Amino acid sequence: MTVSKIVLSDVSKFYGDVLGVNRVTLDIPAGITSLVGPNGSGKTTLMNLMSGLIHPDAGSIRMRGISPRDPGHLMRITGYATQYDSAPRWSTGFSFITTGLLLFGYDRSEAEKKAWTALERLGLTDAANRKMAAYSKGMRQRVRLAQAIAHEPEILILDEPLNGLDPLVRAETIALFREWAAMKRHVILSSHVLQEVDIISDQVILIANGMIVAEGRIRDVRDEIREHPSQFILRCSNASSVAAQLFEEDHITEIRLNEDRMGLLVLTRDRERFSRALGRIAGNGHKIDSVIPADENVDALYEYLIGEEK
Amino acid sequence: MNKLPLTKQTWTIAKIEMRRAFFSRRAFWVYGLALFPTIIFLGHFLNVKFQRIRLSATEITPPALLDSLREGETEEAVRQRLGKAPTDYNWERRRRIRDSEDTSGITTHRIEPAVEARYIRLNIYRPTHTGDNSARIAEFEVYGGNDAVNLAWNRPADGSASCSEAEGPEKAFDGNPQDYWCSSAGNKYLQVDLGEAFPISRIVLKHASAAGKPEELNTATFNIQASRDDKRFETVVNMTGARLVDEITRSRRMVYFDGKREAVLDFTDGKLVNKNIRLLLNFEEDRSIFAGVFQHFYLRLAIFFGCLGIFMNLFRGEVLDKTLHFWFLAPAKREVLLIGKYGAGLIAASIIFAGGALLCFAVLMGFHDSMEVQAYLGSAGIRHAFWYITASVMGCIGYGSVFLAAGLLLRNPIIPAAVLLGWESINSFLPEFLQKLSVLHYLQSLCPVPIPMDDSAPGLLRLLLVPAAPASRIGAIAGLILLTAFLLWIAAIAIRRMEVSYSTE
Repeated sequence: MTVSKIVLSDVSKFYGDVLGVNRVTLDIPAGITSLVGPNGSGKTTLMNLMSGLIHPDAGSIRMRGISPRDPGHLMRITGYATQYDSAPRWSTGFSFITTGLLLFGYDRSEAEKKAWTALERLGLTDAANRKMAAYSKGMRQRVRLAQAIAHEPEILILDEPLNGLDPLVRAETIALFREWAAMKRHVILSSHVLQEVDIISDQVILIANGMIVAEGRIRDVRDEIREHPSQFILRCSNASSVAAQLFEEDHITEIRLNEDRMGLLVLTRDRERFSRALGRIAGNGHKIDSVIPADENVDALYEYLIGEEK
Repeated sequence: MNKLPLTKQTWTIAKIEMRRAFFSRRAFWVYGLALFPTIIFLGHFLNVKFQRIRLSATEITPPALLDSLREGETEEAVRQRLGKAPTDYNWERRRRIRDSEDTSGITTHRIEPAVEARYIRLNIYRPTHTGDNSARIAEFEVYGGNDAVNLAWNRPADGSASCSEAEGPEKAFDGNPQDYWCSSAGNKYLQVDLGEAFPISRIVLKHASAAGKPEELNTATFNIQASRDDKRFETVVNMTGARLVDEITRSRRMVYFDGKREAVLDFTDGKLVNKNIRLLLNFEEDRSIFAGVFQHFYLRLAIFFGCLGIFMNLFRGEVLDKTLHFWFLAPAKREVLLIGKYGAGLIAASIIFAGGALLCFAVLMGFHDSMEVQAYLGSAGIRHAFWYITASVMGCIGYGSVFLAAGLLLRNPIIPAAVLLGWESINSFLPEFLQKLSVLHYLQSLCPVPIPMDDSAPGLLRLLLVPAAPASRIGAIAGLILLTAFLLWIAAIAIRRMEVSYSTE
């Protein structure tokens, strides 16, 4: 059973004194798994560890039973589209993928056929024979994707694969992931925007500061997020009276009054009921100058999920 | 999916990598290094060719006549026998020297036309021909129309400060050359008042040697001025010195050519003083120059730095281009990748450097007399060529593994290169077991021709340039391959541990 899984046990990686990932234990079944976390949280480190580009300082990794220290076997069943935006100077998209395939032992005509198929899937046939140096960032991203899937790997690792793709290509790419997952293969992708991947993932792994924060089926993680309180900053002329009225609402968990008595920081568990309440208060003759959401950024989300101060 | 045999996969990697090794911009100057000896030899041969055309423009001299030349022959005699020389330069060298034939220490200065003057002044700029700073004048005689009368005799005299009281200005006008005026002042002068203006036509100076002093003390540079009023002085004798003469040496170089040899004849004052007859194109000499260039430049520097450029870049270049991860994500063992890349570098370096050596060798053969070349190729030539190529290839194998390992273990290529170059240079002074850890140590014993070394070269230089060679070529090749295997083993350990981290570069 473990042979068809990706298993990380107690994996740590340090860059000198700087922590990469800390005591990560994961058991990833086939299907689409998303690694979600802010920039610098350790997503790429985790993916590099899985593919053997870097080696763990502690713990062990088994990719469908194969150690990443054995690229001769592992890379046969693995495709990894990195975020490194580089390509050999000499190559066109087509020659780049073909060259990679030659290393698998395909003869040239077979390699060219497979390369062409992969390029077709990502809609790159028009640009196939142009130098990669002349590609746009999004095109290079797609070529890396094409290269990763060209040998039909059982494990597909993709670092921020949706970054820089236009909506049409994005939809096609997502369809590709689903097709892959349907064949009982692993698709592991990373993103720093949860909303971007939550609908397509079978499983989500939330990671922050090199540690796993939440892990599981997407519904469970989403519920956890729904209860995440939202913060708003209100500017109004009669702050203390507005605060008194808001306190009567049961979804309000905290109110802080600004020192100038002209502003409020409000924490609510329900955005919709909060906005209806504001409407009522305004109808009662209170003038509210502005409402600014205070935590529309991912950092606040993770701060909540980690449940601790920075 | 068919599993690839390791050898085939290694070859596939090597084929892909060769593009970088041959055409990488970072390694382009490697070609310059490999072709440098060829360019030098081509230049030499073209020069000889032009010289031959120039020398053959006039009639070619029969060889027997060249051999008949003897030193001491006159220009005329040589020209009569050998005819007009195709190259003929004349030049003169002029030298102002003291006249060694006149030792009297007396100089006579004629003034034409005569100058009317009452005061005569001698200004001395360099008092002697040695470091002695004292001017000495035994007699200062002034003559007018009546040539017999010394107008200055016992006339009132003046001069710069005297060396002593007994050597005052009057001593130069007393008619007695045994005593003299002496002055070591900064501005040296001696002046006489004739009492009234006379037309002056001749001045006679008796210098130190006239008073029995060594002739080196005679006045070296002076001039003479005349005045009517002791205020405005006219220079009547320009800057001159005691007995200075011009010596002219006439030199001539004639070059004759007998079709093979050129004879450079140097004549001085019409006499043949030096003849140098040599082959314009000397096969033996050129071969020994080639041997020297091959060992001193090619093995030591060209292949060394060429391999540095090619092999250091095999992995370091990928890191700089941020493309190393493509290789590490290929389904290949890291060791296979290492050997594949090393193989690619080795093929490129060997073709470039063995090719460069062979090309230079071919140029050498191509420009010489075909009879001589055939005789050489028939005896030792082919064997020599084989060993030159072998030494080049073994150099690439050895230095390649050194720089491959260095490129994996170290970030900055300059430091290992400098250290290694130093190590290879001092190697011959090290204990024997350390000598075996040098690439050059083995390479030099593969060279077919011993380095041409002048016996007059300083001992230290000879030690530096000719390390003690191991006993046999087989031993050298085996040693080099062992060294390479050891370095590749270290490189394999390094590449297994290597991680992709471009950001820290």
